[in-house]
Amino acid sequence: MAKEFTYSGCAASAQACKMAKVEVICSYPIRPYTAIMMELAKMVVNGELDAEFVHGEGEHAQFSVVLGASAAGARALTGSAGVGVTYAMELYSPIAGGRYPVQAAIANRALDPPGDFGSEHTDIMSVRDQGWIMGWAETPQEVFDNTLINYRVGEDPEVMLPQFVCQDGYFVSHIPGKVSVPEQSQVDEFLPPYRPHNPLNPKAPFIHGPQIKPNQGPVIDLQRAVAHLNTPKVIRQALDEYNQIMGRNYSPFLDEYRTGDAEMVFFILGGHARTCRFAVDALRKKGVKIGMVKIRFVRPWPTEDLQECLSKFKAVGVVETSTSYGGAMKGGILLHEVRASLYDLPERPLTTSFMAGLGGEVVSLQAFYYMAEVLTKAIEANKINKYVQWIGFEPDWHEFVEAGG
Amino acid sequence: MFIVPKEREVPQGVVIPSPVKDNREMITSNWRSKRPYMKYLDKCNLCRNCYIFCPDGCWTVDEENEVVVWNADFCKGCLICVTECSAKALDAADELDFDGGVIRLEKSF
Repeated sequence: MAKEFTYSGCAASAQACKMAKVEVICSYPIRPYTAIMMELAKMVVNGELDAEFVHGEGEHAQFSVVLGASAAGARALTGSAGVGVTYAMELYSPIAGGRYPVQAAIANRALDPPGDFGSEHTDIMSVRDQGWIMGWAETPQEVFDNTLINYRVGEDPEVMLPQFVCQDGYFVSHIPGKVSVPEQSQVDEFLPPYRPHNPLNPKAPFIHGPQIKPNQGPVIDLQRAVAHLNTPKVIRQALDEYNQIMGRNYSPFLDEYRTGDAEMVFFILGGHARTCRFAVDALRKKGVKIGMVKIRFVRPWPTEDLQECLSKFKAVGVVETSTSYGGAMKGGILLHEVRASLYDLPERPLTTSFMAGLGGEVVSLQAFYYMAEVLTKAIEANKINKYVQWIGFEPDWHEFVEAGG
Repeated sequence: MFIVPKEREVPQGVVIPSPVKDNREMITSNWRSKRPYMKYLDKCNLCRNCYIFCPDGCWTVDEENEVVVWNADFCKGCLICVTECSAKALDAADELDFDGGVIRLEKSF
């Protein structure tokens, strides 16, 4: 029988890693993800978890250690946050290209400046195109579940890709919530042991990461691309099985909330979806036909699911939580992907985005009410005024606040 | 879904069986402008520093004849062995001073 505990996102992550029986862990401290490694270190010392716990001398070392561990055949875990994520940049491509399904537990943190502890998704979004599977959790429960699901998907023979399992720093990583923890036997049924391809072995030597010739380069890139094309199917299968074994109700890619008769939706990822649900409920009471679509995986990006889902609505408000300076949409990253996904549809919703949840700032209920008003006006005029609205700084934001919105 | 011509196939993640011997397709001797050589054989005390420090594994020990043996095909001429030689038996010389000295050039390897 599953048991219920109260865990922060970090504690939930550590519990899931313990139940996944990770074999090699490499840590280096940076808030707010550090608490995951503190929990795991305690488990190893207390003999609850039989794992090799290595303390790296930096993030570059952390990701190097897990690459080697995975090549040797171990289920490996590392993690980081904020500038730690960017310090390890060199290793992301070798790990994904060498097809080592290591997992990195990430608690998102704003990049410098300003040396802020708060959540912002630009750290991981900056490395989104290296070939890692990447997804966000809204609650400690989802952190726990995503940890197991990602190991299963990443280690699938058709996939063999590393995974970023992300949670918002502080909002999810440090605020406790109820977590239903399954029996070890249920986890074992869902997650078989890691079977590496050609592990390092002195008796049958293999070369990992040899020097290649230029005409082999495109083939390796193609392999990584094909692995990502295979991944959505594997995610669907894994989620089906996970829901069945654990008694959960996850949709693989898009979690819809009150979208049945909605004319407009907030498109969001991560911990702020929690506040967003309250905002949707409050707006619904005022008669606004609004819902929420939460995306669970950003890589692989679920293009077809998104087309099917978002084409039902008249307007989509993308809540960015990350930055893309000088880009086509003049603001965030998600809007690029959303608009590109919808481009081939005969009928497209109006799409605009909101810069919110940056530098650790909360996305307030008031911010969601403002977004709903912008979307309502867009539907009335049948056009959007801007690709991007900066919450707190737009002229009509100040008007909205002064009018008591 | 995609067609990769047979001659361009690469194993997943480029993990390949080790040849467990010299890889003739990766000869790097023409990176060298200087080469290490055994100047004073009588000084060599078989301390094996050259064997330990060579980044390319180009020094081996011939136990029977009690000498160190240099692999000319893969030595890039970094001369770490000369620096590390505890007996000062190894020295460096210009590559082209030797008969059959390699000439750097047209391609990287």
